[in-house]
Amino acid sequence: MRAASLPGEVLGARDRDSDEELLSRARAGDPEAFRVIFDREAPGVRRFLGDLLRDDAGADEGTQETFVRAHRRLGTLEQADKLQGWLFGIARMVFLEQIRRKRREGPMPEPAEDFSRTDCGPSPEAVLLSSESDRMLDGALADLDDERRSALLMRIDHGLGYGEIAAAMGWSLQKVKNEIHRARLQLRARLAGYLEEGA
Amino acid sequence: MTHPTQEELEAVALGEPGDPRATEIEAHVAGCTDCCRELAWLRTERTLLGRRPLLETTHLWPGVAARLEHPRRRTHWAWRIAVASGVGAAAAAVLFAVLPPGPLPVAQPQQSARRPRSAIDPKTLAALDRAEADYRNAAKVLEGEYDRLRPQLDPELARRWDETLTRARAQLGESRAVAADDVNVRMRVLDGYAGYLRSLRDLLQESEEANP
Repeated sequence: MRAASLPGEVLGARDRDSDEELLSRARAGDPEAFRVIFDREAPGVRRFLGDLLRDDAGADEGTQETFVRAHRRLGTLEQADKLQGWLFGIARMVFLEQIRRKRREGPMPEPAEDFSRTDCGPSPEAVLLSSESDRMLDGALADLDDERRSALLMRIDHGLGYGEIAAAMGWSLQKVKNEIHRARLQLRARLAGYLEEGA
Repeated sequence: MTHPTQEELEAVALGEPGDPRATEIEAHVAGCTDCCRELAWLRTERTLLGRRPLLETTHLWPGVAARLEHPRRRTHWAWRIAVASGVGAAAAAVLFAVLPPGPLPVAQPQQSARRPRSAIDPKTLAALDRAEADYRNAAKVLEGEYDRLRPQLDPELARRWDETLTRARAQLGESRAVAADDVNVRMRVLDGYAGYLRSLRDLLQESEEANP
């Protein structure tokens, strides 16, 4: 699959005024406005679901389902600046439903080793280090409880505030803080050995 | 200054704008080993996660657009089962609300069958009766839908499903007969109804998929 753009370019530079206008147009039934929202937000939602599901086909399907539901519920989103967190809240529900369905249908297959991630880089060492650390990160994330992983990713990877995460997860603010703190401790314990070796 | 909070350090690590104390925090971190280490960790986590490329998603739009244009419609029986399950669950919730505190009575079917109805709280009995009636009504709708689809099914498959449904109905009937007014047993009968409805729903979904 192709890369869309560097994360910072999409996740960092968000135009809130534009969100407001887009939302109001989308609520009024302008399909082009919703398409723009999709183009802007879908890569983040797709990555979030990919990290949770660890299944490309499932993450693609989940992304589509998230936006279909979002379109249906646009009227319930009161603040445009909460759009990203709101979408992640829907994505999380889609994820939980997929997990439940898979558990009913049988054991989940082990995620396949993704060799396509090895990228062209300046040196073989750098490539090795990069792909090794990506694998280590994947493994460390996979070890986290589903809900804890969701909260951590929303915070670190997607830059949502604690309040937005609380709304998306349906948790209290204190629970969000506790869960993210615990997730971090687990993640660091896994990564520490690798990073020390690499240093 | 005192140590910055975790959130303040995160804001610095994530490059979130707008913290008026950012300069002050940076200055503190420069001289504080603990905060410096924490900030280094936060930046490492952010770098490791953030450097992964975002995947292209434009190919997913046509599927979304198609579904927005032609939404999947829930069949009428799917709506009915959703409503009936909701009503059943609500009735069960009312039941829990009206039950006296303490554990549910232990099920003793033979004795409970002789237990006088007046010994149980009337509100509890009414909630049980209501929940059961709702489940029965939902079952009737789904059974009717199954009867409609049945002629189009493979005869052997239809025969097997008939047997399954007959067995389930017989078990429900027996359970109901011995439950009388024993709250605990009647709650299990409600569970039985819910399971029966789920079976019917799955069966109808399979029938519709087999005969689109």
